[in-house]
Amino acid sequence: MTAPTPPVSARPGPPPPIPAVAGSGPGAVGAARSGRGAAAGSRFSVIYRLVLRNQVTVGRLLAMAALGAVAVLLGLAVGLSSQSDPVDAGATLIDRYGLQLLAPVVALVFASSALGDLVDDHTLVYLWMRPVPRVTVAAAAALAALTVCVPVVTVPLVLSAALTGAGAALVGGTAVACLVGVVGYVGMFCALGLRFKRALVWGIAYILLWEGFVANASKTASRLSLRAYTRSVISEYTGVGLDQATLPLAVAVAVPLAVAVAMVLYTGRRLARTDVD
Amino acid sequence: MTTIAPAERAVADGSGPRPMITVDSVSKWFGDVVAVSDVSFTVGPGVTALLGPNGAGKSTMLRLLCGLVAPDRGTLSVLGRDPRTDLEVHRSLGLVPQQESVFDAHTALEFVRMAGVLHGVEDPDGAARHALALVEMDADDRRRLSTYSRGMRQRVKVAQAVVHNPWVIVLDEPLTGLDPRQRRHMTDLFHSLGGQGRCVIVSSHVLEEVERFGSDVLVIAQGRLAAEGDFHAIRDLMDDRPHRLRVRTDRPHQVAGGLLAAGTVVGIRLTAPDTVLVDTTDVHRFRRCVAAVARDEDAHLWEVIPLDDDLDSVFRYLVGRP
Repeated sequence: MTAPTPPVSARPGPPPPIPAVAGSGPGAVGAARSGRGAAAGSRFSVIYRLVLRNQVTVGRLLAMAALGAVAVLLGLAVGLSSQSDPVDAGATLIDRYGLQLLAPVVALVFASSALGDLVDDHTLVYLWMRPVPRVTVAAAAALAALTVCVPVVTVPLVLSAALTGAGAALVGGTAVACLVGVVGYVGMFCALGLRFKRALVWGIAYILLWEGFVANASKTASRLSLRAYTRSVISEYTGVGLDQATLPLAVAVAVPLAVAVAMVLYTGRRLARTDVD
Repeated sequence: MTTIAPAERAVADGSGPRPMITVDSVSKWFGDVVAVSDVSFTVGPGVTALLGPNGAGKSTMLRLLCGLVAPDRGTLSVLGRDPRTDLEVHRSLGLVPQQESVFDAHTALEFVRMAGVLHGVEDPDGAARHALALVEMDADDRRRLSTYSRGMRQRVKVAQAVVHNPWVIVLDEPLTGLDPRQRRHMTDLFHSLGGQGRCVIVSSHVLEEVERFGSDVLVIAQGRLAAEGDFHAIRDLMDDRPHRLRVRTDRPHQVAGGLLAAGTVVGIRLTAPDTVLVDTTDVHRFRRCVAAVARDEDAHLWEVIPLDDDLDSVFRYLVGRP
């Protein structure tokens, strides 16, 4: 009997099932494909869970939780001190510690590792060899990073805002700013993790040099910094005038979200073109 | 390049299977290092071994075939499609990568099942169990992959490469870390897959390993295709090349004279008071002759050692042939 050969150029049909060997399980497997919609959902879910499992390590969680605990302690300290304007003091704390340090650092640690860890340990090949759109991989990785970052950033900062005694406006503004900021940073740092081998170094350089220094120097530069958008949210909610916080709320919310979407698309494109070990 | 039996033999005249893999003048370099240089070949159904010493460019060639890297020059196709840009071809392509790393936190079943889900297999759990059974792994083993031995990981990697029932299976040094029994089992599995009309490409730097894989061989050395075709013809060619051996004896002059008189050597040189270097084109005849010469000359043979039997020298010879 002549062995079948697959059609060339057209999508090949299923090959004969791999036969069972002595002592093995069931017979024909593999040829049947599941429905397109259900399969797409399953694939997204599988990649999401894989990345989530990979990036959450005890060390990372403890270190980031410790940073969050510091935010809570600072909020408590501000609340207990006799500030003439607790709203101003609270907004400044959330801006300086929460939005300048905690949110971007947490996002950097988890988002850059979402795909970066797979590149570093040479396991990306097991995702790359599958017929899954690269943008699906990027989106699942970003969502996994978001799943970790949102609670690790938002919970301690909202608690900190509440402890300052500045009122509901700061608490609400902090929650929105955290969500918006984390989404933007996660999108950006996911791409960074895939693009650079030393993503943490590049990310820290962005946070400290660009956001902490260059962006404060001019209004134009600040528009290229996510922090200008998150502090604008705080400013809009509380009425406290923060440096470079001049954007209307709709813009301050929309731009980081758009940045995240653009970065996920870029990451997908980058994945398709990257050399895989 | 040495063409023993043209790979396109049956393809050109339409008498045999069509190529499932076509590589046309492909080159790939990393910085200043040329990893693959102007390589062309076609591969049809069955098991084909990619043979070459370490650093010859085998892994780069396999990565090119899977689309993991893009060629800097030339074109290649798998089942008529570009593996770099066409996701569809990955439905029909399975890879066992060279690196040992797997998702350490997963169990074998989770790892292989995940591959099935990502390939859109209808019953990923059943397919994963079957694939693991093919490589003689226990699907119900709850241990994480991080606790597995090198050989066990290797078998799990093979399982994830076949879980979706692919047409083309690319295996980069798949027998590494396996014990002899598992090697035999895995070789049988590859033959079984190839016999079904699948294209199975297996790389190795071990000549004896390749001998068991089958008769079609691509020999790659220094990034170039050094030979392709029937393994046994290549093996004969390797055996026919000049060999150098070192003979240590208590009567080197007499032994050297006896060997020359017997006509089994093409060159001979005394390099030490007890050592003779011999060049011969027929090792088997030389080995039979040297004992007889020593007996006739009443000499003690302390050592007869081939000096260039390693694969590197074989490949250098093949590459250097006109």
